[in-house]
Amino acid sequence: MSDYGDSDANWIFYQDRPEWSDVTPVPENDGPTPVVVINHSERFVDVYNYFRAVLQKDEKSERALELTKDAVELNSANYTVWQYRRDLLKALGTDLRLELDYVETVIKLSPKNYQVWHHRRVLVEWLQDPSLELDLTGDALEQDPKNYHAWQHRQWVIKTFGLFDNEMDFVDSLISDDVRNNSAWNQRYFIMNNHHGWTDENVQKEVAYTLEKIRFVKNNESSWNYLRGVLLHDCKGMSGNNAVKSFCEELYNKDCRSPYLLAMLIDCCDEAVKNEEMNDLYNAERAIELCQALANKYDRMRCKYWNYLCNKFKNFKNNATNKTDTKN
Amino acid sequence: MSADERKILAHRQHVNYFMRFLNVLPSSLSSHDTTRVTIAYFSVAGLDVLGSISSLPEDLRNRIINWLYRLQVFPDNETGDMSACGFQGSSTVNIDLNSDNKHYRCGHLAMTYTGLCILLTLGDDLSRLNRKAIIDGVRALQTEEGNFSATLSGCESDMRFVYCAACISYMLNDWSGFNIKRATDYIIKSIGYDFGIAQCPELESHGGTTFCALATLSLTNQLDQLTEKQIEGLKRWLILRQIDGFQGRPNKPVDTCYSFWVGASLKILDALQLSNYDLNKSYVFETQDCVAGGFSKWPDTCTDPMHTYLGLAGLSLIGQTGLLEIVPTLNITKRAHQHLKTLHEQWLHEVI
Repeated sequence: MSDYGDSDANWIFYQDRPEWSDVTPVPENDGPTPVVVINHSERFVDVYNYFRAVLQKDEKSERALELTKDAVELNSANYTVWQYRRDLLKALGTDLRLELDYVETVIKLSPKNYQVWHHRRVLVEWLQDPSLELDLTGDALEQDPKNYHAWQHRQWVIKTFGLFDNEMDFVDSLISDDVRNNSAWNQRYFIMNNHHGWTDENVQKEVAYTLEKIRFVKNNESSWNYLRGVLLHDCKGMSGNNAVKSFCEELYNKDCRSPYLLAMLIDCCDEAVKNEEMNDLYNAERAIELCQALANKYDRMRCKYWNYLCNKFKNFKNNATNKTDTKN
Repeated sequence: MSADERKILAHRQHVNYFMRFLNVLPSSLSSHDTTRVTIAYFSVAGLDVLGSISSLPEDLRNRIINWLYRLQVFPDNETGDMSACGFQGSSTVNIDLNSDNKHYRCGHLAMTYTGLCILLTLGDDLSRLNRKAIIDGVRALQTEEGNFSATLSGCESDMRFVYCAACISYMLNDWSGFNIKRATDYIIKSIGYDFGIAQCPELESHGGTTFCALATLSLTNQLDQLTEKQIEGLKRWLILRQIDGFQGRPNKPVDTCYSFWVGASLKILDALQLSNYDLNKSYVFETQDCVAGGFSKWPDTCTDPMHTYLGLAGLSLIGQTGLLEIVPTLNITKRAHQHLKTLHEQWLHEVI
């Protein structure tokens, strides 16, 4: 990255560079009782000795800007180096488009580093130009479709600059690639919530889309969670959506016992019970049965949790019976 | 590895492992250069969970304490400004700066938090802390949104630093730098449609950030701001993170560290007992290096101090014998927390 080449063979220490001879390096002062001492390479020590020197002088020069590249290369998590670099960019009036290229190469090398994404965000804010960001995050998500940093940057750009238009296509393709990509489902919710809105028509469309995906892969927490998310916006609640109701009952009758299906049915029962509905399909008795089935057969590793829920329904039923008894 | 070895805690090896990290680290860890305090925290807290804090020689204990205090950033000499106060993570930028560039030398919330944990764990009396300055440093970092930035010097702000700020305020027994209402709003806005909690509003729910959020609500006595539906939803989301060990997000691989992040979240909600201890334990033990000590995130991969500490802390939560009890919110032992309570008592008398 610097004029001195990347390979160790061509590397010339700063202390041996004539154009740096005017600078006195500042060694790290870790005090008389250092612990957790990192045995840095000679190159690391040399670069950071000169980094401290220019920082202390507050030197705003092209050579200092180059030096920060070497410092980043040795530790891209050093937030002071990045901050100093930003201050240099401002002071020198550097072309920020070149900086976008540079930070892109660093992101490609360290896609899970907080500092590089922060630097990128500041540059985009300065330039007020988000035109490269969807491609940049798209590339990062191609490498790792669940990269949290890339999603965070993408959501920020989309929301700040209103770039929702093609995002649903992007999400559709990610979900087609991997229906278990929870990040993509979350992004779907993000777009619906901020852009399309939860009109009744959109709720029904999203329900239909999600049911289709569940039909394809039934034991997938991500799609079931999204379905619940959509139903938060259905005025009839979780148990009142006819498409969901008939879909779930059909799956159940066809002997599907995915814990997510059973959990959904339990929650429908819970909703009906809490609304004090007299409901043939969704009631405390059925919830108890389903919790027991999960605890004893279909999700035994979580039996304590399902028994805990079961007891809640049992208590509710007992209380209801007591109430009726008192009335009588 | 035999089936028996998989269930035995390699206690002595882990003690040695942490002792090595307190000493000298290889150059391959250069990327941790600015966060050495966290490595010291994992090591010191790790020794404490192992019940071996007394095996730290007095001399090393003092060296660690003195090293840490040198990383404390003090108020500006001329202006008295305290916004940069707190702990740095290392001495990389531990240099004298003038008024134009002094902002490069500033505390970092994660380093202040883990620094305080180390001091408490080592039994220090915190007398060399400028408590007021640290609280001012915390105050300077809360954003309009309610979350916190890590440092004054150009850093992202998110749920992690809300948690660090809450721990610091709790430990120093001073909430004047932490707007609880704004932080609580931020946390509640970050609850997802699946009831997990994300790094910021609308992002994907995550086991680590869910821990940060719940621990903050607990430390600020705001858990009652959650509705019953949210609490039950959180319990479900957290319980579903268990595969054998725990994963951080749905459909992601399990990882040793989530035995703590998710385990402690459940513990805060008084629901850890609903998880499956045996499977959890088996997974964490699969990631143990019985020879060199340490735990890794996945079986047969490289160990590191963070996964080693969090693996042990996760095991401690489920009552592993041979380990001290952990306070899930602060992520220090009950023993260290007891010491903190004694200090709080003393501070009370100081004021009077």
